[in-house]
Amino acid sequence: MIEVENLRKTFKVHKKAPGLKASIRSLFVRERIEKEAVRSATFRVNEGEIVGLIGANGAGKTTLVKMLAGIIHPSGGSATVLGHVPWERSNALRRQVALIMGQKAQLWWDLPAADCFLLLRDIYQVPAAEHAAQVERLAAMLGVEDELHVQVRRLSLGERMKMELIAALLHSPRVVYLDEPTIGLDLTAQRAIRNFILEYRREHAPAMLLTSHYMEDIERLCERILVIRAGEIVYDGSLRRVVEEYATHRIITAHLRSEATLAADRPASAPAGLVGIGEVIESSGTTLRIRVPRDRVAEAAQRILGAHRVADLAIEEPEIGDTIERIMTSRETGGAAP
Amino acid sequence: MSGGLILHLIRLEASKLMSYRADFWITAVANLLSTVVVHWFLWRAIFATTGAEELGGYDFPVLMTYLILVNLIGRVVRGSDLQMGIATEIYDGGLSRYFLYPTRYLPFKYAQHFGSIIPEFAQMVLFAAILVALFGLPAGAGVTLTSLLLTLPALLVANLLYFLLSTPLQCVAFWADNVWSLGVLLRFASLLLGGAMLPLTMFPDWAAETLRWLPFVACYEFPVRVAMGDITGTGELLLGLARGLGWCGITALCTRPLWRRGQLGYTGVGI
Repeated sequence: MIEVENLRKTFKVHKKAPGLKASIRSLFVRERIEKEAVRSATFRVNEGEIVGLIGANGAGKTTLVKMLAGIIHPSGGSATVLGHVPWERSNALRRQVALIMGQKAQLWWDLPAADCFLLLRDIYQVPAAEHAAQVERLAAMLGVEDELHVQVRRLSLGERMKMELIAALLHSPRVVYLDEPTIGLDLTAQRAIRNFILEYRREHAPAMLLTSHYMEDIERLCERILVIRAGEIVYDGSLRRVVEEYATHRIITAHLRSEATLAADRPASAPAGLVGIGEVIESSGTTLRIRVPRDRVAEAAQRILGAHRVADLAIEEPEIGDTIERIMTSRETGGAAP
Repeated sequence: MSGGLILHLIRLEASKLMSYRADFWITAVANLLSTVVVHWFLWRAIFATTGAEELGGYDFPVLMTYLILVNLIGRVVRGSDLQMGIATEIYDGGLSRYFLYPTRYLPFKYAQHFGSIIPEFAQMVLFAAILVALFGLPAGAGVTLTSLLLTLPALLVANLLYFLLSTPLQCVAFWADNVWSLGVLLRFASLLLGGAMLPLTMFPDWAAETLRWLPFVACYEFPVRVAMGDITGTGELLLGLARGLGWCGITALCTRPLWRRGQLGYTGVGI
């Protein structure tokens, strides 16, 4: 459904030094610098898939989504969405695509949501009966039936976001871009929106590309993720595989029958019998948490069991979020799976 | 763009303007009153100083009729021009959503613009009726029901032309952050050169003749002259309309490359 091949986007931005002198100079001479927002992105998203697009601020996520939604033109590479080039903006494609932006209202501020939906009905040419049924159903799913006739600007952030979702999905798009749909919302609203997205996926099986800074969004909604770093896709694969491939350590938690004896001169280092293997994350009373390299987990567990009287021992994978964060912020390149 | 969508947009904009703007009527009344008062004192003084019975072929009452009509018609022609809606949407990224919709942006905006002038039109008719009821029509002003009906097509052309004249200026927002001054420039240039500040007959002959070839005349002077019964022949009426439409075509052609080039560099800031 979405196929992207070596897609690039370079922005030319003006640079100006601070101060009045530089401001006057910039009236006559302006220095331009090129900023590579997206470099050679290649991936595909299939029908029924929700793919998480994860990256730090300024990594190029939104630029990538804007290109795929046809809002901006790329500097190079190619992309097709449902067989159409998105930035050619054919009506045939636009009738099947939706973009939901958590940070930018798309509804008409001065109108009640119901009026906006009626206008969208005419824009997308949805039959009246089908449209009315769809509004009623989606509003009921999100619990906003009573707010349909309130001006958009008078709605709370959560209610507005729910209306944005309804507006975007009224024409039953087959491709949906969700750009931080839960940003700034309380936990209840976040959960409602996640459930709604899953329900929509179950009913319509669209291709969905989701960007979010909330790991819970990604973990609840996506089986597959793309990690983008400085405009480059550095990981494309399943969410689970991220930990398997990129988590270099495991966490061993041991509950001891007696307090562990830490080296007197290095209280944050490994306790007796574990020097040189791991890094102590927590050592309080009888609980010991140690971060151990993956290839030395068995050895470390054996040493703990040999050196201490252990009541319970658990080996945990690190948090997915931590692993992804490490990929996002790492200076190394490579490691991107096709 | 479907006819249903166009009608929907027109209806929506008209109702929005009337429902949510408490200042709508106050602004209109204040504008009309200030225009009448300023012109009355100014032209009274000019007529008194020069001792002339007529200036540019207009005696005082007919000139006042001309200036009041041009004020009322001008509001319908311009709509909310100084809001620079297109430029604002380019600047703040609001344009992005229209790129997602299966519709064409500029016709969409024109339908909205047209909707926004319907309340202005209603005001124009109402104010004109009140003024006529209060003061009557001067003997020299040839305003008739026929002339008013003939004004409608001229008004439609004028409104479209003004929108098209402002569009390429607003496209400059693709490259510059603030283009509001261009909107102001267009307004003042069109008022002066289109015969809205004073009738073109008061200009030197060569200037008046030259200005009649520019688009601004079709925005102000032509519809007012039709309303005042100065243009009665079908040929002259059709020629005036054709000139206006010709300028619409020329400005649309000028807008096309600007729009194409501008959107290539559009970055959709704000999202």
